[in-house]
Amino acid sequence: MALTDDVVIAQPQTTTASWRRRSLLWQVAGYLAMAIVVLVIGMPVYWTVVASFKESREIYTIPPTWWPEAPTLANYVRAWNAAPFGRYYINSLITTIGSTAIKVVFAVFSAYALVFLRFPRKDLVFLFLLAALMVPREITIIPNYITVGSLGWINTYQGIVIPGAAVAYGTFLLRQYFRTLPREVLEAARVDGAGHLRILWSVVLPMSQPAVVTMTLLALVDKWNDFLWPLIITNTADMRVLPIGIFWLLDQEGVINWGVVMAGTLFVMLPMLLVFLWAQRYIVEGIASGAVKG
Amino acid sequence: MDRQITRREFLRGVAAGSGVALLAACGGGDTPAAQDTNTPVPADGATTAPAQVGGTGSTVNITYWGSFSDVLGEAERAMVESFNTSQQDVVVEYQYQGSYEDTAQKFTAALQAQAIPDVILLSDVWWFKFYLAQAIAPLDELAAQAGVDFSDYQPVLLNEGMRDGVHYWIPFARSTPLFYYNKEIWAEVGLPERAPQTWDEFGEWAPQLVQRNGDTMTRAAYVHPGAASYIAWLFQGVIWQFGGRYSTPEFEITLNEPDSIRAAQFFSDTVNEYRWAMHSTDINREFIGGQAASMMASTGALAGIERNAPFEVGVGFLPEERAFGCPTGGAGLAIPAGASAEKQQAAMAFIAFATSTDGTITWSQSTGYMPVRVSAVNDPKMQTFFEERPNFRTAVEQLPKTRAQDAARVFIPNGDQIIGRGLERIVINREDIERVWQDVTVELEEGAAPVLEDLEALRA
Repeated sequence: MALTDDVVIAQPQTTTASWRRRSLLWQVAGYLAMAIVVLVIGMPVYWTVVASFKESREIYTIPPTWWPEAPTLANYVRAWNAAPFGRYYINSLITTIGSTAIKVVFAVFSAYALVFLRFPRKDLVFLFLLAALMVPREITIIPNYITVGSLGWINTYQGIVIPGAAVAYGTFLLRQYFRTLPREVLEAARVDGAGHLRILWSVVLPMSQPAVVTMTLLALVDKWNDFLWPLIITNTADMRVLPIGIFWLLDQEGVINWGVVMAGTLFVMLPMLLVFLWAQRYIVEGIASGAVKG
Repeated sequence: MDRQITRREFLRGVAAGSGVALLAACGGGDTPAAQDTNTPVPADGATTAPAQVGGTGSTVNITYWGSFSDVLGEAERAMVESFNTSQQDVVVEYQYQGSYEDTAQKFTAALQAQAIPDVILLSDVWWFKFYLAQAIAPLDELAAQAGVDFSDYQPVLLNEGMRDGVHYWIPFARSTPLFYYNKEIWAEVGLPERAPQTWDEFGEWAPQLVQRNGDTMTRAAYVHPGAASYIAWLFQGVIWQFGGRYSTPEFEITLNEPDSIRAAQFFSDTVNEYRWAMHSTDINREFIGGQAASMMASTGALAGIERNAPFEVGVGFLPEERAFGCPTGGAGLAIPAGASAEKQQAAMAFIAFATSTDGTITWSQSTGYMPVRVSAVNDPKMQTFFEERPNFRTAVEQLPKTRAQDAARVFIPNGDQIIGRGLERIVINREDIERVWQDVTVELEEGAAPVLEDLEALRA
C-alpha cells in the first residue's frame, strides 16, 4: 500500500514526452516491486493455508504440489483435538486484551506528559525510557519470574500480563507523533478553558488516531504471538495460550506433521488478520482527518 | 494407545507407594485439594480397587515437568495417567514445559523463585548442570526404599547418570543414532539390502546413489543435519569410529589429535571432495522426500519416518571405520533436591513406575525410545513387537554397543553448540580443520573452567 503512494508521488510535474516515458517506466517498476513484495509476503501464507489441507505424506513429497491432491479437513480436527484450543482462545483473548489495554493507557498518558507537560529533566526521563527500550526481553525473564513468583502470581493471568504491561516502545511511538501535532490547535483549546484530560481526550487523541491505532495493533500482535513468557510463567494446561498450543503440535525429536501444525497456525493467525483488516481503515481515516491544516 | 495395567505392575506400584503412604500418615502435612474418595476409573477398566496401605487415605500431590509434544507428549501424559490410576497414594500432575531447552531454562528460574517441580525430565546436555548446582537429589536411597532394581537397567544408559558412584539421572526417553537407508534406491542401483558395514564400503556405494542434473546434485547419497547440536551428536559416533574423541573424561579437549582431525576431514570430504553428501536443516524431510538416499538420525524418528516415507525404510548399525562408535542421547528423569522427603519418595514411586518393565514396554512401543530395562527387551510383549517392527529390533540390538558421550559435548555448557558450529565451519565453509578445532578447543576450555571449579568444590 505504501508503494502505491510512492508511485503517485513519483509522478512528474512536467509533461514532455521523455518525462512521460520515464514516468511510465517508474510506474511499471513500482508495480513490479509491489508484485514482488506481495509474492514474498504472500507465498508463506499461501503455503500455510494449502499445507493445512494436505496429508502429511504429500507435504513431504518433492517436487511440492501447489494444490492439495486430496484436500482434507483432518488436520484441523486433529489440531483442535490435540490440545484444548478452546481454552487457549479464551486465555489468549483475556491476556491480549488486558495487556493491550494497559499498554495503550500507559503509553497515551506518559507520552502526553512527556510532550505537553512542563517539568524539569524531561529529557532524562525520556532517556530512561529509551534505555528500557534497549533491554532484550530474554534478559528480563529470570528476574521477572522471581518477582512474579514472590508475588504468588505464577500460573495466573496477572502473572502473564503485568510484567510486560509497561513497554517503552508505545510511549516512544506516541511521543514522536504527539510532537508533530500543530501547537496552535492545542493552544486554542487551552484558551477555550480545556484542562489536560479534556485536551487529551478531545484534541490529541482524535488527531493521533493513526498512531494510537498502529500502536494498539502492534501491542495486540505482540501479546497474541508471545510464546516464551506465557510458557514459563504458567504451569497448567488451563492457563496456557495459543502459541503454546502450536508448539505442542511440533514433534521435537521425530517427524513433524506439518499439516497439523499449519492448521494450528491458522487458528492463531486468523483472528489477528481479521483485526488488521478491520482496523486498517481507521489508520487511513486518521491520516485523512489529520490533514486539517491543508 | 494401548495402555494396560497388569496386576503385577499394579502391585509394584502399591509396594513403591507404601512407604509414602506411611510417611504421609505420620506427617499428614500435605492435604491435597484434589483428594477424592472415588478412585478415578481408567478408560480401559483394567485397574482393580487398590488395597489401602496407610488406611488414612491421604495422598501426596506432586508435579512432573515434561518436555514432549505431539505424539510423544500424549504418550508421556498417558504414562502419568496410568500411574495415577494404578495407586491411591500419589497423584502426579503432568505439566508440559516446552522443549528440553525451555524446560531447563524454566527450571533455572524456578530454582531461584523456589517454585520447583517434584520430578523433571532433563536432556543429556542439561542434567549435569543441575547436578553441579546441587539442584537435583541423589537417588540411591530413594530407589532402595521404592524397591527399584538398578541391576535390571541397561548399564550404558544408567551409568551415564551416575557421578562418584551415586545415581542422579534415571534413563527414560533415551535414543541413539541409527543408519537409515532408502531400500527403493538401494534396489534401483543394485546394492545388497543392508546398511554399509564400513565407511570405506559406503564410499564405494555412494557415487552410484548420487544423481546429478548437470552440475547440481538432484539426489545425494547421504545428508548431514544443519542444526549444530544434532550434528555434534552424530559426529560423536563418527569421531570414535575413526579412533578419536572430543575430550577425555577429565575435560581435556582432544580435537586436535590426528584421529579426531581425520574424522573431521572425512565429514568435510563427503560434501566437498567426494561430493556425495548434502546438508539440510531438516534431514528427515530430505530422506522422506527421496532427496537423500541415506542418513544417520535418531532412533526417536524411526516411527515417524516409517509412517511418512513412500518407500520401504531400511536401518542398520552405524558404519565402522577403525572401530564401532555410537553415542547414546535423549532424556532422563531427575528429582529436584529442594522438596520434602515425602514428595521425593512420591516422585521416586513415579519414576519406578515409568521405568518399570511394563512401563518401559508401553513407553518404548508408543514412542520408539530405547527400552531402558533389560527385562523389557526379553519380555514376550517386546519380542512380538520386534516381529512387527524389525527396524526397531535393529535399534535395540545396537544399544549394548553404544557408549556415553564425551564430557566436552554433554558436560560443558553449550558444548554441543560449540562443537556443532565448528563442524559447520569445516563442512560448509570448508575452513582449515586444525584452525577451527583450535578455536573450538579454546572455547571449550573456557567453558570447562567453571565446571572444573564446581567439580572441585563438590569433592571438597
